[in-house]
Amino acid sequence: MKVSTRYFGEVDLDESKVITFAGGLFGFEEYTRFALLFNSEAEERPAISWLQCIDEQSLALPVMIPTIVMPDYNPVVEDGVLEELGDWNEENISVLVTVTVPKDLKLMTTNMKAPIIINTDNMKGVQVVVENTDYQIRYKIYDILNSAKEGKEED
Amino acid sequence: MLALSRKINESIMLGNDIEISILEIKGDQVKIGITAPKSVPIFRKEIFLQIEEENKNAVAQEQSRETIEQLFKF
Repeated sequence: MKVSTRYFGEVDLDESKVITFAGGLFGFEEYTRFALLFNSEAEERPAISWLQCIDEQSLALPVMIPTIVMPDYNPVVEDGVLEELGDWNEENISVLVTVTVPKDLKLMTTNMKAPIIINTDNMKGVQVVVENTDYQIRYKIYDILNSAKEGKEED
Repeated sequence: MLALSRKINESIMLGNDIEISILEIKGDQVKIGITAPKSVPIFRKEIFLQIEEENKNAVAQEQSRETIEQLFKF
């Protein structure tokens, strides 16, 4: 299927890549079909990808794997909250957090309080609010990303 | 909006499986108890609004894809 995307132009997307968020995302409850897109020309799969709405070109959020900036990230939710995902386990579940990038890059943040959880077997997704009281909605990551880069250069 | 008056220890049913009880009233603060199935997410409205806003902020960003990808090259 052809999909007009915000960051990747027109993309030919296999139906099997469509992720269904039955309840939508907070603030965008009416949109339920998304896909995860990333720069396939990069040498390895990039740490950042884009959650693109299939039905609305302008609706795309940068998302990242939270453990890049918080290695011990361990979101806690009530049992029933993930019911929508069907049968899930540690193997088939993917946890992502949204990234907010303001004009001043130094102020960029990620939302640790409301991760996006995807069951990669049945391609169902849900955005949840976690119980962890110390997880911030605006967790600053610019310095953490930079020190990760420096760490790598020293290797 | 439906407005109901309730006294302490009285409650309201939403459908047949969600119960909202008034536990305590102290000055301008009310302590509310909620019994609901585990699949019903419950959170303070402020948190809900902040998360809605943060999703919108994430969508509204104006940096290019390349600029953002560069930040994540390790």
